[in-house]
Amino acid sequence: MLNEWLLSLARFLDAQNWSTQIHESIYLYAWIETTHVLTLMVFLGMLFVIDLRMLGLAFSNVRASTIAERLDKPMMIGLVLMVITGVLLYFAIPVRTTQSLWFRIKVVLIVFAAVNAFAFRARMQASVSTWDTDPTPPRHIRMGAAASILLWAGVVVTGRTIAYDWFDCHKELPYAIYWAAGCVDEMAAFASE
Amino acid sequence: MDLYPFFDWLDTSMLADISKAHGGVFAVVQMFHLLGMSILGGMVLVGDLRLLNVVMRDTPSEIVIENTHKWFSIGLATMIISGIFLSSAVSLKLYYNEMFWAKMSALAVGIAFFYLVRRPLLSVPHEGIKPGLLKLMALTSIAIWFTVAASGRWIGFS
Repeated sequence: MLNEWLLSLARFLDAQNWSTQIHESIYLYAWIETTHVLTLMVFLGMLFVIDLRMLGLAFSNVRASTIAERLDKPMMIGLVLMVITGVLLYFAIPVRTTQSLWFRIKVVLIVFAAVNAFAFRARMQASVSTWDTDPTPPRHIRMGAAASILLWAGVVVTGRTIAYDWFDCHKELPYAIYWAAGCVDEMAAFASE
Repeated sequence: MDLYPFFDWLDTSMLADISKAHGGVFAVVQMFHLLGMSILGGMVLVGDLRLLNVVMRDTPSEIVIENTHKWFSIGLATMIISGIFLSSAVSLKLYYNEMFWAKMSALAVGIAFFYLVRRPLLSVPHEGIKPGLLKLMALTSIAIWFTVAASGRWIGFS
């Protein structure tokens, strides 16, 4: 049901002029993707500085709260630009992206990363006054920072693998992959065999 | 100096055997390339934005800059090692790609600028350096590394 709805939405977007214009433009798609990668560098770069401090691996002579608070704004600017360009990239190729297994895993990882970020922030705000100047933060903070880095590394690799056609719907794949990728027509053909 | 023999060797090396045959390995190494670039970018931005008085104004710029050096080098090493592996998959194509050489030139300028200009100059108390010079250095640094990243992405489109 969800797969059918997502595919209908993707086909609706695919029928829009804007989608075709971005996709078929000589330079626009390349510029959007380049901006996406550059803003990823801003967002992830700031995130790395914060997480490395929370792991006790960098900026250990600077208060953890100072790093987290002062770099929050540039990190969020990077995130907003990354999301805008990411939505435009999706809008340019909606059907294939909707049915990309890697894109789906990427979205799930982003959700996990967001949940981890909110939980991490809450844990940090609740306890930072007791360890703010410690070179190495407590274990639960380090675990949250490590999870953040691993989740975003997963987002990067799945984002990159969207370009590969290993699990595209037009290929002969197991039913489970068709289901996970949302290959609605192929699942129907599989069922009718 | 013609580097063709190196690219020719790389094209038939064991690295090329792996990078051409295993797309999954290539993608994971590409992840490390992007993560290395992000670490490097983060350190450059935090340091340069501090010099521009945009972030962390309540922390002395010497402390901020000093903390970025080690991870800048780690990011750079990660980028270079993973970059050689990625290049092996299409080494001869890259040899004839102008954007690749634009990136390599920008990278060489960036490395020289960081280790021969920015780092030695910022190793003294920043109070003794003209504010205008600090800001010029920060803007130059951002511009160089922006060029490295942008030209690197553009290789794929050229």
